[in-house]
Amino acid sequence: MTRLFNDPTQFKEEMIGGFTLAYSRYLRRVPDAAGVMALGAPQPGKVAVLIGGGSGHYPVFAGYVGKGMADVAVIGDVFTSPSGEQIYRCTKAVDGGAGVLYTYGNYSGDVLNFGMAEMRCQNEGIDVRTVTVTDDVASAEDVEDRRGIAGDFFMIKTAGASAARGDSLDDVEALTRRANDRTRSFGIAFGGCTLPGQSEPLFTVDPGKMELGLGLHGEPGIKSADMASASEIARMMVDIVLADAPADAGHKVAVLLNGLGSTKYEELFVLYKDIHAQLEASGLALHNPLVGEFAGSLNMAGCSLSLLWLDDELQALYDAPASTPAFTHL
Amino acid sequence: MSTQAKLAKQCVANILAAIEQAEDELARLDAFAGDGDHGAGMVRGMRAAHEAAQTAEGDLAGPVIAAAGTAFTNAAGGASGALFGMFIATVGQSLNAAPDTENVCRAVEAGVNVVCKLGKTKVGDKTMIDTLMPFVRALEEAAQQGLTPVEAWSYALPAAKSGMEATADMVSGRGRSSRLGERSRGGLDPGAVSAYYMLRAVADTLNTP
Repeated sequence: MTRLFNDPTQFKEEMIGGFTLAYSRYLRRVPDAAGVMALGAPQPGKVAVLIGGGSGHYPVFAGYVGKGMADVAVIGDVFTSPSGEQIYRCTKAVDGGAGVLYTYGNYSGDVLNFGMAEMRCQNEGIDVRTVTVTDDVASAEDVEDRRGIAGDFFMIKTAGASAARGDSLDDVEALTRRANDRTRSFGIAFGGCTLPGQSEPLFTVDPGKMELGLGLHGEPGIKSADMASASEIARMMVDIVLADAPADAGHKVAVLLNGLGSTKYEELFVLYKDIHAQLEASGLALHNPLVGEFAGSLNMAGCSLSLLWLDDELQALYDAPASTPAFTHL
Repeated sequence: MSTQAKLAKQCVANILAAIEQAEDELARLDAFAGDGDHGAGMVRGMRAAHEAAQTAEGDLAGPVIAAAGTAFTNAAGGASGALFGMFIATVGQSLNAAPDTENVCRAVEAGVNVVCKLGKTKVGDKTMIDTLMPFVRALEEAAQQGLTPVEAWSYALPAAKSGMEATADMVSGRGRSSRLGERSRGGLDPGAVSAYYMLRAVADTLNTP
């Protein structure tokens, strides 16, 4: 459960307070808004990248604000989209005159609030474009209906690197969309998470079972299955993700194995050993894999596998330098 | 202070009290098919709405309600924050200086239409609309029968309650719970329940001498 808080209704505010104190070398609070912006933003003439969503998912989203990734993250309450007003204020704070790219997970609350802010900014002459992240293969049959999970990381990295090298808003948008079109994720859960101030978990997983396809917000999964060994789980995750591989996407992939909160690094490495071997046996070339906590869900137990099918341009962006509280690549 | 603005402020205060009292119930309903934060979000939104309403100036009810709705949207976040806030704000913006039953009906209808458009939702999707749309239809009947706004509101309330209760047997068509399909059947929709409690708190306020 979430043990450390004072007044649960102030969890977000106090979290932002500590976060900005700790990482003032990367970012600062957006004046009069629930968000954090990169030092040096706004940068005149550079496309700004705006990300955001509910809190409870760190490093998503605030952890990826800094050089080479996002210019600003709008921070909602736990598992709740930020309001359109907050998104609007954060957009104004980072707009450097070259437009702003929004990228965030495809959830109805986010789509509604970011959509309202986008409309308002467009009316004021700020060019805003949106790429919603739809990587979770378990969440819907149609890709455009899918929700975003840990694949967010790839889109933030792509958009941030593209904007940092001076690409136009058209290009930043097109490349981010291409990355989303080529990203697939699948997650499983072993145990639920508990919101600050609540005594009961939001949901539970029966002992000896695992929930397949569970999202970052503790929504019940699509199916329960008997708990299995790490090797069996690795095989299942790889099979499900590859069954949904984008057409004609080549054979080079970026790999991200993500822990949701209480499934820790060394367990993930055990799982990764078999995932790596399975992916290679499938004929894929693995490029700079990442194993760790990249998109969490408070103390939820579980993990997700994300693949981004790279081409030369996406690989260059993926390999570009970044310097943020949660991800640094030199 | 005029009676009209004062009455609107009292309505907002009573809605806040009703929502605070229902917070745990709303959280439980939301945990069934959502993420359990509906109660907290509604309370956060209504507290901001109440604060804005109390400090709103002027004699008319409309601007008080509009200010409450805008504050709700800014504070609550989430889909329900945007939708409830826009609903309240639109009702306020649509009220005349001297609202008769017909105007009250059109104002609520305008709010409902905004929610349907923004939320891409309709009757039967297991949302707040399943409470609000039957309420609007019943208000129309009341207007045709020549009831006063206060009479009409009470007349229409049972239709809202029936609509809310009907959500128990619906499969979610919108929002996070819609990912569950058939598994979303069986519980009341928390947004529909919140909407009913709001309408009921207004009825109670209007009927208090």
